[in-house]
Amino acid sequence: MQTTPVYIVCSPRPLIGKTLVARQLSEFLLLKNGDVAAFDINLKEPSLLDYLPRITETADVNNTFGKMALMDRVIANDGVAKVIDLGFHAFDEFFEMSEEIGFMKEAARRGVSPIILFVADVDRDSARAYSRLEQQIAPTALVVVDNEYVVRGELAEAMGHGRMLRIAALPTFLKTYIDRLSFSFTGYLRGEQDSSTELHQWIRRNYLSFRELELSLLLQKS
Amino acid sequence: MAKPVVIVVGADKGGVGKTTVSRTLLDYFSANSVPTRAFDTESPRGTLKRFHPDLTEIVDMTTTSDQMKIFDTLNAVSPSVTVIDVRAGLLSPSLASLRDIGFLDAAKSGQITFAVFHILGPSIASLDEIAETANFMQGAKYFLVKNFINNTSFFEWDQATYNSYFRRIKDATELTIPKLNEMAYEQVEVASVPFLKFVANKGQDDEAANYSFVLRGYVRHWLSNVWTEFDRIKLTDLVGSGKSGARMGEK
Repeated sequence: MQTTPVYIVCSPRPLIGKTLVARQLSEFLLLKNGDVAAFDINLKEPSLLDYLPRITETADVNNTFGKMALMDRVIANDGVAKVIDLGFHAFDEFFEMSEEIGFMKEAARRGVSPIILFVADVDRDSARAYSRLEQQIAPTALVVVDNEYVVRGELAEAMGHGRMLRIAALPTFLKTYIDRLSFSFTGYLRGEQDSSTELHQWIRRNYLSFRELELSLLLQKS
Repeated sequence: MAKPVVIVVGADKGGVGKTTVSRTLLDYFSANSVPTRAFDTESPRGTLKRFHPDLTEIVDMTTTSDQMKIFDTLNAVSPSVTVIDVRAGLLSPSLASLRDIGFLDAAKSGQITFAVFHILGPSIASLDEIAETANFMQGAKYFLVKNFINNTSFFEWDQATYNSYFRRIKDATELTIPKLNEMAYEQVEVASVPFLKFVANKGQDDEAANYSFVLRGYVRHWLSNVWTEFDRIKLTDLVGSGKSGARMGEK
């Protein structure tokens, strides 16, 4: 049976790298599969829509129409991987709604594989949110993103037991460089001749992590 | 042979959700494999009939012939449970009719199981209804239903006043029907199918439908909460079925 992955990049905290992860992941999936559908529920922060307008739709979970527009797409096992960039302000509403409508159960029934990429921070809000997700999401579908630029090696112990995706910190000048709206990770890999540059290696390492995440999903399904 | 069970759902005020509660009851019995028939007193056109056409017959409870159709067949037909959705304003007159035909006495002597789901409105008039209805409740199971589905606010009530009315009625049990997302409720209305079929993404004739997954989820969650209330009052025990564990439609 075909499975469709749905990556939900989330955190209850603003400006900790959700859109960066969602951007990279979307570009990786686009490169690998030739197709990806991205959803931006992040309009109060630097937005995925600004970076990848051709593959990104905006979505809203503050009203029932918005929830239907998003979730009825996301639950479809159509073979097109989905990436949701879930803004901090929508975190509680999204997971409350998911629990109420039985999203995880229905997804399993339809062959859709939600993967929650929880971008960690060291504050109390993040600890509370992670603990809530642990109760709602199976450990195999919950991945902590350890963004070194934010966490600086101080990841809470409670978050360190499950699955992990590590994003190394970039020097500030490179961070500024990749934050430009016109920057494309895949475009950089294709255009930069020197594969030994720090940025080249950083992107490759992250793409490899996404690949490993995908593989583990496949193994899990088989 | 199982004792016949008659459940009357009514209120003296319109728009408080009588038919919604009747629909949840029919779904509950269907999920628990309790054979049920229903009568809709919204003559000539009934809302309950629209949602459960196979189970429901429209009757005019004020006529003797239709009263006979309901009560003279209690022992003769196979479904042991009869749900009657009583039109707005007809609850007290209907109960008076039941008293007059000796039905309430039969309930009192245990020949028939009789339950009344009295759907309360938000106004103080509802409290007077309780007092009025309570006069007929000897021998019956009396359930007072606070229905929040249509966003009713019960804050108009003074709790002390409510309690004073509530205490006058022996063995009355309170039930709460929670609120359902407005759009989900509307969609079920438009689809004109039982809640169970909506959740299962099916049309009236069991054909595959294409309802929103989100709205189905809201209905499933809400229905499960309503059924938890029915389980709490041991409704299946009341109708002599006695099984309210895992049932279809809840998975």
